[in-house]
Amino acid sequence: MPGSVEVPTFNDLNVEEISVSSAVLKGAAHHYGSQCDKANKEFMLCRWEEKDPRKCLNEGKKVNECALNFFRQIKGSCAESFTEYWTCLDYSNLAELRQCRQQQQAFDSCVQDKLGWERPNLGELSKVTKVDTSRPLPENAYHSRPRPEPNPVIEGQLQPAKHGSRLFFWSW
Amino acid sequence: MAASKVKQDMPPPGGYGPVDYKRNLPKRGLSGYSMLAIGVGVMCFGYWRLFKWNRERRRLQIEELEARIALLPLLQAEQDRRQLRMLRENLEEEAVVMKDVPGWKVGENVFHTDRWVAPLTEELFNLRPREELPHKRFGFLWYV
Repeated sequence: MPGSVEVPTFNDLNVEEISVSSAVLKGAAHHYGSQCDKANKEFMLCRWEEKDPRKCLNEGKKVNECALNFFRQIKGSCAESFTEYWTCLDYSNLAELRQCRQQQQAFDSCVQDKLGWERPNLGELSKVTKVDTSRPLPENAYHSRPRPEPNPVIEGQLQPAKHGSRLFFWSW
Repeated sequence: MAASKVKQDMPPPGGYGPVDYKRNLPKRGLSGYSMLAIGVGVMCFGYWRLFKWNRERRRLQIEELEARIALLPLLQAEQDRRQLRMLRENLEEEAVVMKDVPGWKVGENVFHTDRWVAPLTEELFNLRPREELPHKRFGFLWYV
Protein backbone atom coordinates (compact mmCIF):
# COMPACT_ATOMS: atom_id res chain seq x y z
CA MET A 1 0.00 0.00 0.00
CA PRO A 2 1.53 3.36 -0.87
CA GLY A 3 2.27 5.56 2.09
CA SER A 4 2.21 9.33 2.14
CA VAL A 5 4.79 11.64 0.69
CA GLU A 6 6.72 13.41 3.41
CA VAL A 7 6.95 17.08 2.62
CA PRO A 8 8.96 19.26 5.03
CA THR A 9 7.14 21.97 6.95
CA PHE A 10 7.40 25.68 6.30
CA ASN A 11 9.66 25.98 9.30
CA ASP A 12 12.24 23.70 7.76
CA LEU A 13 12.11 25.59 4.50
CA ASN A 14 12.42 28.95 6.15
CA VAL A 15 15.90 30.04 5.18
CA GLU A 16 17.28 33.51 4.74
CA GLU A 17 17.38 33.86 0.95
CA ILE A 18 19.77 35.94 -1.09
CA SER A 19 17.80 38.67 -2.80
CA VAL A 20 20.27 39.66 -5.47
CA SER A 21 19.87 39.76 -9.24
CA SER A 22 21.55 37.74 -11.94
CA ALA A 23 24.24 40.21 -12.99
CA VAL A 24 25.42 40.49 -9.37
CA LEU A 25 25.64 36.73 -9.07
CA LYS A 26 27.45 36.35 -12.35
CA GLY A 27 29.92 39.09 -11.47
CA ALA A 28 30.78 37.50 -8.17
CA ALA A 29 30.59 33.93 -9.47
CA HIS A 30 34.29 33.19 -9.85
CA HIS A 31 35.18 34.45 -6.39
CA TYR A 32 32.11 32.74 -4.93
CA GLY A 33 33.19 29.48 -6.51
CA SER A 34 36.59 29.58 -4.89
CA GLN A 35 35.50 30.94 -1.49
CA CYS A 36 32.34 28.96 -0.79
CA ASP A 37 33.73 25.83 -2.39
CA LYS A 38 33.33 23.48 0.57
CA ALA A 39 29.67 24.10 1.34
CA ASN A 40 28.77 24.04 -2.35
CA LYS A 41 30.50 20.77 -3.06
CA GLU A 42 28.98 19.11 0.00
CA PHE A 43 25.51 20.15 -1.04
CA MET A 44 25.98 18.92 -4.59
CA LEU A 45 27.40 15.63 -3.39
CA CYS A 46 24.48 15.12 -1.03
CA ARG A 47 21.96 15.99 -3.71
CA TRP A 48 23.43 13.68 -6.30
CA GLU A 49 23.96 10.75 -3.95
CA GLU A 50 20.67 10.83 -2.11
CA LYS A 51 18.65 11.87 -5.18
CA ASP A 52 16.21 13.50 -2.79
CA PRO A 53 16.00 17.23 -2.06
CA ARG A 54 14.32 16.65 1.32
CA LYS A 55 17.45 14.98 2.69
CA CYS A 56 19.74 17.84 1.74
CA LEU A 57 17.97 20.76 3.34
CA ASN A 58 20.66 21.26 5.98
CA GLU A 59 23.43 21.38 3.43
CA GLY A 60 21.31 23.82 1.45
CA LYS A 61 21.06 26.01 4.53
CA LYS A 62 24.82 26.00 4.86
CA VAL A 63 25.16 26.96 1.19
CA ASN A 64 22.89 29.93 1.79
CA GLU A 65 24.76 30.97 4.92
CA CYS A 66 28.07 30.82 3.12
CA ALA A 67 26.71 32.85 0.24
CA LEU A 68 25.24 35.48 2.55
CA ASN A 69 28.53 35.72 4.40
CA PHE A 70 30.34 36.11 1.12
CA PHE A 71 28.13 38.94 -0.05
CA ARG A 72 28.31 40.66 3.32
CA GLN A 73 32.09 40.61 3.14
CA ILE A 74 32.05 42.12 -0.33
CA LYS A 75 29.56 44.75 0.75
CA GLY A 76 31.74 45.53 3.74
CA SER A 77 34.94 46.15 1.91
CA CYS A 78 34.66 46.43 -1.85
CA ALA A 79 31.15 47.71 -2.47
CA GLU A 80 31.83 50.50 -4.99
CA SER A 81 34.06 48.63 -7.38
CA PHE A 82 31.70 45.66 -7.22
CA THR A 83 28.71 47.88 -7.97
CA GLU A 84 30.50 49.34 -10.97
CA TYR A 85 31.40 45.87 -12.18
CA TRP A 86 27.94 44.44 -12.02
CA THR A 87 26.27 47.52 -13.48
CA CYS A 88 28.62 47.20 -16.43
CA LEU A 89 27.72 43.51 -16.76
CA ASP A 90 24.04 44.32 -16.53
CA TYR A 91 24.30 46.56 -19.58
CA SER A 92 24.43 43.66 -22.04
CA ASN A 93 21.73 41.07 -22.59
CA LEU A 94 23.87 38.06 -21.83
CA ALA A 95 26.00 39.74 -19.15
CA GLU A 96 29.14 39.02 -21.17
CA LEU A 97 32.20 38.94 -19.01
CA ARG A 98 34.53 40.05 -21.79
CA GLN A 99 32.95 43.48 -22.14
CA CYS A 100 33.83 44.53 -18.62
CA ARG A 101 37.48 43.64 -18.22
CA GLN A 102 38.53 46.99 -16.76
CA GLN A 103 35.98 46.96 -13.99
CA GLN A 104 36.75 43.31 -13.36
CA GLN A 105 40.41 44.20 -12.93
CA ALA A 106 39.55 46.98 -10.49
CA PHE A 107 37.26 44.72 -8.47
CA ASP A 108 39.81 41.89 -8.43
CA SER A 109 42.63 44.10 -7.20
CA CYS A 110 40.37 45.65 -4.55
CA VAL A 111 39.29 42.25 -3.28
CA GLN A 112 42.82 40.94 -3.33
CA ASP A 113 44.14 43.89 -1.33
CA LYS A 114 41.40 44.01 1.25
CA LEU A 115 40.27 40.41 1.63
CA GLY A 116 43.15 38.44 0.17
CA TRP A 117 40.98 36.51 -2.30
CA GLU A 118 42.46 35.46 -5.61
CA ARG A 119 40.38 34.96 -8.69
CA PRO A 120 40.69 31.32 -9.77
CA ASN A 121 42.45 30.78 -13.10
CA LEU A 122 40.71 29.40 -16.14
CA GLY A 123 39.74 25.78 -15.65
CA GLU A 124 40.11 25.62 -11.90
CA LEU A 125 36.42 25.73 -11.13
CA SER A 126 35.64 22.91 -13.54
CA LYS A 127 38.09 20.49 -11.95
CA VAL A 128 36.70 17.37 -10.34
CA THR A 129 37.06 17.50 -6.57
CA LYS A 130 36.88 14.90 -3.84
CA VAL A 131 34.57 15.88 -1.01
CA ASP A 132 35.15 14.80 2.57
CA THR A 133 31.83 14.37 4.36
CA SER A 134 30.67 12.78 7.56
CA ARG A 135 27.42 11.72 5.94
CA PRO A 136 27.38 8.00 5.12
CA LEU A 137 26.85 6.84 1.57
CA PRO A 138 23.19 5.85 1.14
CA GLU A 139 22.62 2.28 0.10
CA ASN A 140 19.89 1.76 -2.48
CA ALA A 141 19.31 5.44 -3.19
CA TYR A 142 16.71 4.50 -5.77
CA HIS A 143 14.69 2.46 -3.24
CA SER A 144 14.61 -0.39 -5.72
CA ARG A 145 12.97 -3.66 -4.81
CA PRO A 146 15.22 -6.63 -4.07
CA ARG A 147 16.61 -7.95 -7.30
CA PRO A 148 15.29 -11.37 -8.43
CA GLU A 149 17.40 -14.49 -7.99
CA PRO A 150 19.66 -15.43 -10.87
CA ASN A 151 18.53 -18.31 -13.07
CA PRO A 152 19.56 -21.73 -11.78
CA VAL A 153 22.44 -23.45 -13.49
CA ILE A 154 21.23 -25.66 -16.35
CA GLU A 155 21.89 -29.33 -15.61
CA GLY A 156 22.62 -31.81 -18.31
CA GLN A 157 24.27 -31.65 -21.71
CA LEU A 158 23.10 -28.90 -24.08
CA GLN A 159 22.64 -30.08 -27.68
CA PRO A 160 21.66 -28.05 -30.78
CA ALA A 161 17.95 -28.39 -31.57
CA LYS A 162 16.88 -31.48 -33.51
CA HIS A 163 15.48 -30.42 -36.96
CA GLY A 164 16.58 -26.81 -36.46
CA SER A 165 14.37 -23.94 -35.45
CA ARG A 166 11.17 -25.62 -36.66
CA LEU A 167 9.95 -22.20 -37.81
CA PHE A 168 7.53 -22.76 -40.73
CA PHE A 169 9.51 -24.63 -43.37
CA TRP A 170 13.05 -23.93 -42.26
CA SER A 171 14.84 -26.93 -41.05
CA TRP A 172 17.96 -25.21 -39.77
CA MET B 1 45.63 80.34 -108.47
CA ALA B 2 46.96 83.39 -106.80
CA ALA B 3 50.37 82.93 -105.27
CA SER B 4 49.13 85.03 -102.40
CA LYS B 5 50.23 84.61 -98.89
CA VAL B 6 47.03 83.08 -97.45
CA LYS B 7 47.32 81.88 -93.92
CA GLN B 8 46.84 78.10 -94.05
CA ASP B 9 47.26 75.38 -91.57
CA MET B 10 50.50 73.76 -92.67
CA PRO B 11 52.73 71.18 -91.02
CA PRO B 12 55.56 72.56 -88.91
CA PRO B 13 58.83 73.28 -90.72
CA GLY B 14 60.97 70.12 -90.93
CA GLY B 15 57.92 67.91 -90.86
CA TYR B 16 56.45 66.05 -87.96
CA GLY B 17 58.45 63.97 -85.57
CA PRO B 18 58.57 60.16 -85.69
CA VAL B 19 55.26 58.36 -84.82
CA ASP B 20 55.56 55.10 -82.98
CA TYR B 21 53.03 52.72 -84.46
CA LYS B 22 54.57 49.47 -83.28
CA ARG B 23 52.80 47.33 -80.63
CA ASN B 24 53.66 48.29 -77.05
CA LEU B 25 52.65 45.53 -74.70
CA PRO B 26 55.28 45.66 -71.95
CA LYS B 27 55.72 42.74 -69.64
CA ARG B 28 54.95 44.06 -66.20
CA GLY B 29 53.55 43.01 -62.85
CA LEU B 30 54.10 39.86 -60.87
CA SER B 31 54.28 36.43 -62.39
CA GLY B 32 51.45 33.96 -61.98
CA TYR B 33 53.30 31.88 -59.45
CA SER B 34 54.01 34.80 -57.19
CA MET B 35 50.38 36.00 -57.38
CA LEU B 36 49.28 32.52 -56.39
CA ALA B 37 51.76 32.56 -53.56
CA ILE B 38 50.47 35.92 -52.34
CA GLY B 39 46.89 34.73 -52.48
CA VAL B 40 47.68 31.53 -50.61
CA GLY B 41 49.71 33.52 -48.12
CA VAL B 42 46.84 35.92 -47.43
CA MET B 43 44.48 32.97 -46.96
CA CYS B 44 46.87 31.27 -44.57
CA PHE B 45 47.22 34.45 -42.58
CA GLY B 46 43.44 34.70 -42.45
CA TYR B 47 43.10 31.11 -41.23
CA TRP B 48 45.75 31.61 -38.57
CA ARG B 49 43.93 34.69 -37.24
CA LEU B 50 40.64 32.81 -37.32
CA PHE B 51 42.00 29.85 -35.36
CA LYS B 52 43.59 32.14 -32.82
CA TRP B 53 40.35 33.99 -32.28
CA ASN B 54 38.43 30.72 -32.04
CA ARG B 55 40.75 29.57 -29.29
CA GLU B 56 40.22 32.86 -27.51
CA ARG B 57 36.45 32.49 -27.89
CA ARG B 58 36.67 29.00 -26.45
CA ARG B 59 38.50 30.38 -23.44
CA LEU B 60 35.84 33.04 -22.99
CA GLN B 61 33.10 30.44 -23.26
CA ILE B 62 34.82 28.29 -20.65
CA GLU B 63 34.94 31.31 -18.37
CA GLU B 64 31.21 31.91 -18.75
CA LEU B 65 30.45 28.24 -18.17
CA GLU B 66 32.57 28.27 -15.03
CA ALA B 67 30.55 31.18 -13.71
CA ARG B 68 27.50 28.98 -14.15
CA ILE B 69 29.20 26.02 -12.47
CA ALA B 70 30.08 28.16 -9.49
CA LEU B 71 26.49 29.32 -9.07
CA LEU B 72 24.76 25.97 -9.57
CA PRO B 73 24.62 24.86 -5.89
CA LEU B 74 22.97 28.10 -4.88
CA LEU B 75 20.43 27.93 -7.66
CA GLN B 76 19.74 24.25 -7.04
CA ALA B 77 19.20 24.80 -3.32
CA GLU B 78 16.82 27.67 -4.00
CA GLN B 79 14.94 25.63 -6.58
CA ASP B 80 14.60 22.69 -4.20
CA ARG B 81 13.25 24.89 -1.46
CA ARG B 82 10.81 26.53 -3.83
CA GLN B 83 9.50 23.20 -5.04
CA LEU B 84 9.12 21.83 -1.53
CA ARG B 85 7.38 24.99 -0.42
CA MET B 86 4.89 24.69 -3.28
CA LEU B 87 4.31 21.03 -2.46
CA ARG B 88 3.67 21.95 1.15
CA GLU B 89 1.16 24.61 0.17
CA ASN B 90 -0.57 22.17 -2.15
CA LEU B 91 -0.73 19.60 0.64
CA GLU B 92 -2.37 22.02 3.04
CA GLU B 93 -4.84 23.15 0.37
CA GLU B 94 -5.65 19.51 -0.32
CA ALA B 95 -6.32 18.90 3.35
CA VAL B 96 -8.73 21.82 3.35
CA VAL B 97 -10.45 21.00 0.06
CA MET B 98 -10.88 17.22 0.52
CA LYS B 99 -11.95 17.45 4.14
CA ASP B 100 -15.38 15.93 3.65
CA VAL B 101 -14.55 13.33 1.01
CA PRO B 102 -14.84 9.85 2.58
CA GLY B 103 -11.84 7.55 2.22
CA TRP B 104 -9.42 10.18 1.00
CA LYS B 105 -5.92 10.08 2.45
CA VAL B 106 -4.33 13.51 2.30
CA GLY B 107 -0.87 13.50 0.78
CA GLU B 108 -1.11 9.93 -0.43
CA ASN B 109 1.70 8.78 -2.64
CA VAL B 110 0.44 8.00 -6.15
CA PHE B 111 3.35 5.63 -6.75
CA HIS B 112 4.18 2.32 -5.13
CA THR B 113 7.76 3.32 -4.46
CA ASP B 114 9.39 5.32 -1.67
CA ARG B 115 11.84 7.27 -3.71
CA TRP B 116 11.57 10.96 -4.46
CA VAL B 117 9.69 11.54 -7.69
CA ALA B 118 10.26 14.99 -9.15
CA PRO B 119 6.90 16.78 -9.16
CA LEU B 120 5.43 17.81 -12.50
CA THR B 121 5.03 21.50 -13.28
CA GLU B 122 1.31 21.01 -13.74
CA GLU B 123 1.11 19.31 -10.36
CA LEU B 124 2.93 22.15 -8.62
CA PHE B 125 1.00 24.95 -10.27
CA ASN B 126 -2.38 23.25 -10.10
CA LEU B 127 -3.89 25.46 -7.43
CA ARG B 128 -2.36 28.69 -8.62
CA PRO B 129 -3.84 31.27 -11.00
CA ARG B 130 -3.88 30.08 -14.58
CA GLU B 131 -1.41 32.67 -15.90
CA GLU B 132 1.53 31.38 -13.88
CA LEU B 133 1.85 28.07 -15.68
CA PRO B 134 2.88 29.45 -19.12
CA HIS B 135 5.44 31.70 -17.40
CA LYS B 136 6.99 28.66 -15.78
CA ARG B 137 6.88 26.47 -18.85
CA PHE B 138 7.95 28.95 -21.51
CA GLY B 139 9.68 31.70 -19.58
CA PHE B 140 13.19 30.79 -20.75
CA LEU B 141 12.21 29.78 -24.26
CA TRP B 142 13.98 31.84 -26.91
CA TYR B 143 12.65 30.28 -30.07
CA VAL B 144 9.06 30.35 -31.19
